Amino acid sequence: MIMIAFSAISISILLVLGIVMYVRVSASSRQEMTQSTKKLIEQTGESLEDYLVNMRQISDAVYYNVVKENDFSSKDNSIQRGMNLLYEANKKSLRSIAIYNNYGSLVAAEPIALQKEDPDITKQDWYVQAVNERENMHFSTPHIQNLFQDAAFRYYWVISLSRVVEITDHGEPQFGVLLVDMDYSGISRMMKQINKSSNGQYFYLCDSNGQIIYHKRQIQISNGIFKENNIAAAKYKDGIYDETFGGEHRKVLVNTISYTGWKLIGVIPYSAFTHGMFDMQYFIVMLVLLMTMMLAVINRIVSVRISSPILKLKDSVMEYEAGEKPDIYIGGSLEIRHLGYSIQRSYEQIDTLMNKIVLEQNERRKSELDALQSQINPHFLYNTLDSITWMIEGERNDDAVCMISELAKLFRISLSKGRTVISIKDELQHAKSYMNIQKIRYKNFFSIVFDIDEEICSCCIVKLVLQPILENAINYGVSVMDDGGEIKVSGKKEGGNIILSVSDNGVGMSEEDVKLILTDSRRVHTRGSGVGLVNVNNRIQILFGKEYGLIVESEPDVGTIVSIRIPEVTYTEENRERLERGNYLAGK
Amino acid sequence: MNSKKIFFIIEFVLAVLVIILALMMLQEKNGNDLSRVSVVVPDSDHTQWTALRYGLKMAAEDLGIDLFVVSTGNTLSAPEQMELIQNEIEHGADAVIVQPAIGEYTEELLKKVESRVPVMLVEYAASKAGESSLLPVVKPDHYAMGNALAEEILDDYNGNIKGRTIGIVTESLESEAAARCRKGFEDGLKGTGADLSWVVSGLQQENKEKQLKKQHKVNIIAAFDDRSLTAAGKYSAANDLHGAFVYGIGHSTEAAYYLDTGSIECLVVPDEFNIGYQSLTQTAKKLGAYFYEMENQTVSYTVIRRDELFSPKNQESLFTMSQ
Repeated sequence: MIMIAFSAISISILLVLGIVMYVRVSASSRQEMTQSTKKLIEQTGESLEDYLVNMRQISDAVYYNVVKENDFSSKDNSIQRGMNLLYEANKKSLRSIAIYNNYGSLVAAEPIALQKEDPDITKQDWYVQAVNERENMHFSTPHIQNLFQDAAFRYYWVISLSRVVEITDHGEPQFGVLLVDMDYSGISRMMKQINKSSNGQYFYLCDSNGQIIYHKRQIQISNGIFKENNIAAAKYKDGIYDETFGGEHRKVLVNTISYTGWKLIGVIPYSAFTHGMFDMQYFIVMLVLLMTMMLAVINRIVSVRISSPILKLKDSVMEYEAGEKPDIYIGGSLEIRHLGYSIQRSYEQIDTLMNKIVLEQNERRKSELDALQSQINPHFLYNTLDSITWMIEGERNDDAVCMISELAKLFRISLSKGRTVISIKDELQHAKSYMNIQKIRYKNFFSIVFDIDEEICSCCIVKLVLQPILENAINYGVSVMDDGGEIKVSGKKEGGNIILSVSDNGVGMSEEDVKLILTDSRRVHTRGSGVGLVNVNNRIQILFGKEYGLIVESEPDVGTIVSIRIPEVTYTEENRERLERGNYLAGK
Repeated sequence: MNSKKIFFIIEFVLAVLVIILALMMLQEKNGNDLSRVSVVVPDSDHTQWTALRYGLKMAAEDLGIDLFVVSTGNTLSAPEQMELIQNEIEHGADAVIVQPAIGEYTEELLKKVESRVPVMLVEYAASKAGESSLLPVVKPDHYAMGNALAEEILDDYNGNIKGRTIGIVTESLESEAAARCRKGFEDGLKGTGADLSWVVSGLQQENKEKQLKKQHKVNIIAAFDDRSLTAAGKYSAANDLHGAFVYGIGHSTEAAYYLDTGSIECLVVPDEFNIGYQSLTQTAKKLGAYFYEMENQTVSYTVIRRDELFSPKNQESLFTMSQ
């Protein structure tokens, strides 16, 4: 996905860049082509003007130097010589020079040629134009010269420059028409020179009415094969225009030829702008494609470098989730490594917690089993029943009744309908019953005092926690004393907690023993029910939390105080159930 | 689909695009090699072909074709023509434009050539029947031109040419052009009472002119092709036709000149420029698209009288003949 996203963005950027580059290059190329075409059209226009000016100068020279200076009736051929000189000097661009009188009869011509039988001069356009506007010189559009015979059966295309001249014949002035026929090939050569482009760009020449003087497709236009916008273009002033003609968008450049009013028109179809751009288009597309390929490779490398550690991390996490125990992948960038470390630590913590939970569960089960065992300690039961037997045999029936009665209370509270949590009152009752039995068994060798605040009796406690402590106090505290021992059970409220203490004035313990008594569960109980204080402490902490449990204080030869510290929780059915389900800890 | 697969697909597609583009660039460069078309017509330097050559040249410029007009002698027999065509193909001609030589098997032979390169006929079909030509042809309507000649004669005589004698001059009676033209001419004169006195055909230029001189006097001479018309015009100019009026079909400046000088009465000019232009256009289309079928084309003709020879439209015809 990263690679695709990177690639999509890169390609988009490249495309935009490519398009922008192409647009910029094509715009500048278009501008350049238009400007160069404009220059070309201006230069050609100047050449055409020079060509036409030259023709006018020839006409002027014939008129002012030859016609005006001589009488046509003169026999010295000076007119013919003068015309011949001018013709020879300009014959590359001239077809003929001829002078006609006011009746349209040929007066003089150069080169000398036979006139056609009846060319009907006065009806020819150049003659009519000259006569109609006598003060001007007239340039005709290209036409076939229809004046002289040609032995080679050729017809010449000429542009006629005609003007009315004053000729003198036998001293009499009369008007005539001077005709200078320019060879059309001079102009067509010039136009062909600039029409060599193969990109669709072309130039044509038309008169002010749009009549075509030169067009590279002149015959195709008259045959309808090709169309040209010459009529409209002839009305354009000099400049650059955009037009759409024949469904083609194109640029038209117009340059007017002085004096004649002819228009030199350059046409650049928009396709011509792109014609030369094909290489550029291919180059840009190729560049974009190659860069895209390269970027795809780079993107692939980058995305693999980014995604590979993530994927490996994911795979190791998935393996972990599938129940395997792989090493969590640590690699890649700093962030991914950090993530890996975090996940690894989390899983380690989860493992530790799980182990702890399993351990606690095991402990709990063990504690409960121990508690169950303490409920029906066979040895205790045997001793008690044996004592009762002896009492009955010794006819101490009241004592036996009392003992049986206490034993019954003991078992009733021990069972407690299978409950784990009971009220302190019941726990104390259980402790009292137990101590009463033990006192009978030990023949009141020790004394027992209960000093309990009444208000704590209605609070919750884990059942059978006092009995193992009392048992320890008897077995390890006071039973080994020579004189009678004293055991005191006290209970009070302290800072929102309840403290139940069992103190004796027995032999006490060393400091090392005190440290081990709540931590070393492997200690062998040589006497008693075998339920250690460790077990009692665990049971309290499982139900109430780690901050609660037993506190053992002892001093050798002074005595031992074992305190039970539990929170103050009023004994109700609801609280009992919460405690037994472990919800008390969750609620905290 | 995994990302590796996507990556390789993208790279593959891009590589294919690059290759296609490179091939296109290569083709663009090689594209400058123009198709070459050779033109084989008899007496190719003759002025009668000027307009046709100009049309071909213009079309070649417009279409970007390398055109080559084979230089040929005065006459061209069918075997000579086939040899020239084979030679042109061997020298790289991609197509040929041919005015078929007169011969019984010309069409079959040209058809064989067509299996190698496109063949376009000009002026007339290779078979005399014409309509069922096996090869595409660009030509004028010879029947209509012959018919137009007859109409012009009738116009000049106000429809009354009963008893007038007519001589016919033609290059060959074996060509489809001559046959159709004669048919049109005869159909045009049918029922007018005109007398078709003689027909001169199938002779070399020199002999034909001599033979023309030998023919007995007729009132009208009709020439069905440019060569025949210019021959008749020449004799008319020299007043060697016993005062016969000449009408004919022609497309050279020489023919126009004889009309201009009054040696012939009426000139029917087929649009030779268009024959050249259209024939090459069709050929270029065929070269550009293998499955393109070249089509028969019929070009127009113009009837020109002396007084309208220099009208703007006719000046254009003269322009094409003068190139």
